[in-house]
Amino acid sequence: MDLTQNEKRLLAALGNTGDADPAALADTLSVPEDAVIQYAHLLEDRGLATIERTVVTDYELTDEGKRYAEEGLPERQLLESFGSRIPLAELSLHPLSRIGIGHLRKKGWVTIRDGIVEKSPAIAPGDDERALQDPSSNEKGIPELRKRGLVTGTETVTYRISLTPAGSVLVRSGIDTREEVGTLTREQIISREWQSLPLRKYNIGKRPRRVYPGKLHPYQRLIEEMRQILLQMGFTEIYGGLVQSAFWNFDALFQPQDHPAREMQDTFYLKERVTLPCDFGKVRDMHLHGGTTSSTGWGGKWSEEKAAQCVLRTHSTSLSIRHLADHTRPPVKAFCISRVYRREAIDPTHLPEFEQLEGIVMDEGVNFSHLLGYLKEFYRRMGFSDVRFRPGYFPYTEPSVEPEVYVPSLGWVEMGGAGIFREEVTAPLGLTCPVLAWGLGVSRIAMLRLGLKDLRLLYRSDIDWVRDQPSLIPDLQGGT
Amino acid sequence: MAIISLSYRYLERLTGADRDLILSRLPMIGSDMERVEDDHCDVEFFPNRPDLFSVEGVARAMRGFLGIETGLPDYPVTPSGIRFTVDPALGPIRPYLGSAVIRGVSFDDESILSIMALQEALHWAVGRGRSKVAIGIHDLDAVTPPFHYRAAERSHRFVPLDFTEEMTMEEILSVHPKGKMYSSIVNDFPRFPLITDDRGQVLSFPPIINGELTRVTTETKNLLLDTTGTDERAVRTAVTIICTAMAESGATIESVSVEGTQWPDLRPQTRYVHAGECNRLLGTTLSQEELSALLHKMRFGAAPAADGAIRVDVPCYRADIMHDWDIFEDVAIAYGYEHFPAGISPTFAIGTPHPVSVISGVVRQVMTGFGFLEVIPFTLSNEEVMYTRMQRTAPAGVTRVLYPITEDHTLVRTDLLPLLLEICQFNRHRELPQRIFCVGDVVSDLATYQKLAWLSIHPGADFSEAYATADAFCHELGLAITVQESEDPAFLGGRRGAIMVNGMPAGVFGEINPGVLNGFELEHPVAAMELDLRVVPGYPALPGTP
Repeated sequence: MDLTQNEKRLLAALGNTGDADPAALADTLSVPEDAVIQYAHLLEDRGLATIERTVVTDYELTDEGKRYAEEGLPERQLLESFGSRIPLAELSLHPLSRIGIGHLRKKGWVTIRDGIVEKSPAIAPGDDERALQDPSSNEKGIPELRKRGLVTGTETVTYRISLTPAGSVLVRSGIDTREEVGTLTREQIISREWQSLPLRKYNIGKRPRRVYPGKLHPYQRLIEEMRQILLQMGFTEIYGGLVQSAFWNFDALFQPQDHPAREMQDTFYLKERVTLPCDFGKVRDMHLHGGTTSSTGWGGKWSEEKAAQCVLRTHSTSLSIRHLADHTRPPVKAFCISRVYRREAIDPTHLPEFEQLEGIVMDEGVNFSHLLGYLKEFYRRMGFSDVRFRPGYFPYTEPSVEPEVYVPSLGWVEMGGAGIFREEVTAPLGLTCPVLAWGLGVSRIAMLRLGLKDLRLLYRSDIDWVRDQPSLIPDLQGGT
Repeated sequence: MAIISLSYRYLERLTGADRDLILSRLPMIGSDMERVEDDHCDVEFFPNRPDLFSVEGVARAMRGFLGIETGLPDYPVTPSGIRFTVDPALGPIRPYLGSAVIRGVSFDDESILSIMALQEALHWAVGRGRSKVAIGIHDLDAVTPPFHYRAAERSHRFVPLDFTEEMTMEEILSVHPKGKMYSSIVNDFPRFPLITDDRGQVLSFPPIINGELTRVTTETKNLLLDTTGTDERAVRTAVTIICTAMAESGATIESVSVEGTQWPDLRPQTRYVHAGECNRLLGTTLSQEELSALLHKMRFGAAPAADGAIRVDVPCYRADIMHDWDIFEDVAIAYGYEHFPAGISPTFAIGTPHPVSVISGVVRQVMTGFGFLEVIPFTLSNEEVMYTRMQRTAPAGVTRVLYPITEDHTLVRTDLLPLLLEICQFNRHRELPQRIFCVGDVVSDLATYQKLAWLSIHPGADFSEAYATADAFCHELGLAITVQESEDPAFLGGRRGAIMVNGMPAGVFGEINPGVLNGFELEHPVAAMELDLRVVPGYPALPGTP
């Protein structure tokens, strides 16, 4: 039986006398009487002690009661105010008649017939009258007096705590009343005193206070997971500016200057302009007539002015293409996960800024089959084992493909885009090998993995939500 | 987006296959099924394939893809004898005109709607909202050739479509719904484009509106097509796509002489592509014959030629074929994306994280070790949050967007701390203490670099906490710092320190000024720090030019 320290001390105190009142025990244990009774109840539940509860009522006369104790109850005074009979009308003139006559009749001290009041014989003092003289001596009269407001009562509850036989046995067997140890001290550990100490046992049924560890944002954790996958697959990470020239963001990617995505409705333009790279003419020629490739180019006009405008990058491909411009010799395997911007109004599924992941492979002999292979492997590592491919369209890739992954709860879900960079994109940079490229919206995966319906929650950082999200985020197959 | 409604009845008739087969294979030629209804479906086609923006075009492609009718479709054109003159004064306004006569059309309400839908989709995808190309279709029998495309006075009068009264072209721009919608394309020119017949009757005010006179109805038997624009190639694309779609529906096409040039030209363009290059790009080992057969499925003419080449006849409507690889993509589509082996290339490369990510990774580790929670705010912010509430003045080199969508997002952040305070404001009813941090990009003078900021809000937050955490953080990042009194008005005087690295200011820490707290509706003291991570050893120098 695991007694608490308080129960043990109470048992020990009772051990001396077998029984005691709480006041004495409180004194012995140096705790309030309330606490003694509380511990005693615990012992009673265990069958080690009994609590005897006694209620004592003290009575006291009210002012009216005191006056009657002196002068007699009104009916007694009335009775003594006349001989053996009196006309009712005459008795009614007595100052106490209003209170007294009813009681006279009720107690049967008089009979009233034809307007004449006649005394009954031999009228002894009643219980009420005796109680009025000494409230503690006559219990029977008290209720009547209380009803008439002549006496008030105050209840006092007293307890008597006694050991049961089982309690006595336990006390005789000895009780260790040393203070229980909660947190062990250094001294207790090194002296090995802990071996003989009474160690407090804690209640494992009670959940602890919630503590909040410092941790990564769940979205950052997913981004980190994707980074690790790409690093493990041998990709080198790219980092670059949020601000790009339209030249690198659009023109170098063979996006025609009148393409709708370039309009100010869709892209955040800045007032700043940059100087174009000195060999921008190769890109211009590609737009105008296809340069030296088999391409026809877009024809029409190409404006340096438009290419020199600065934008907030609309896709991570602007970083990939600059990386390729700086790394023209194969092999290149690179990736980035970066914030990109679209001029979109905020709603649950659209934000003006979000993360994109992009991977590129440039090497001798890489081809479309390899691209599909990289996509399958990447998505497999992301926890999507079923991947399928459909034709797609992106202005800077050919062939283009839209991968779809199977999500048990949703079916086939479009998951980004991929393709081989058009020669119109690679030739002006002097690249001679094909470049496989794929990109996907990271937030889309985050919504799936975190079970979110509203994209805004990722960036709003509701602290309770971040605190509540476990650090381990299983993939959609339940793996890690 | 070009979303095309395909009526099953018409599609099945033109294709010669049942709807289930068509619908199941449609996505594999490159489309997204938007809606499947009882009598029709709505399908999104890619903007590079305007030839698929009509039931006729889709049926043509599906016949090939399903093997019902393969190879190059033939579109004979006979001269109509009709002439079109073009006024040289249109040069700076809208110089190019394409035309055709389409005879023997049999319109019902459905097919009129279909041709209207094609016209609108072309206006969007090829015409860039009519600025580059605009298409007019007229009842040929209501007018008298030859026709004249000229630059007219803005006061020229005629009855525009859907109106009963004559009005001037200028009035049309301010009164007619289409006029209001497209006025910006022509409004800056002293004269407006106008197409009339030989008697001066108005066919069209391109790119705004046709005349009521040549309205097309179910009674119309013969059509005159006018297509005007600023880009000759785009004009040709629009003309060929409309003419071939009409030919697919059973009409015959006749040419019109536009200043001596016969329009339309529906002959294919010939390219020689190499089987080896195609196989290298796709990772296949297809013979010239196999490649030719696949191209036939995509409605190309194709035949093996000398030296591993293939002669490919590209149908006139395939405006997307700019480069040999565009043809190879069609080979891949005909081959079936699901049939590629999908294996990784043997490319050897070692994955390397970017130094900036390595540093931000260490920063995250240190801050979470200190018990801080990471938050990820937007990079777009505004003057009020970034500077006014911080009691700071905006520095030079702030990146402001030209056309913000909301007042909340007018600039790119130069600091992170204001955004952390904003997050605290949003979370002010959440349990304290709140200790949060953010590491991420900021932009100044167009250059992107990373900063760290953290804050701690609770009743006991004070300068000592700020200093101790700042000092420990800098130590963990291997930074040799000195600390000076700071003048930063966002912090409380006498309770703020400037972090100096190599004698240069790199950051600030201390107790946030209660005035700033009031601005963010915060009710407890805040200890905070912000640091420019470029001072961290190993932070790479990055190109500053966008």
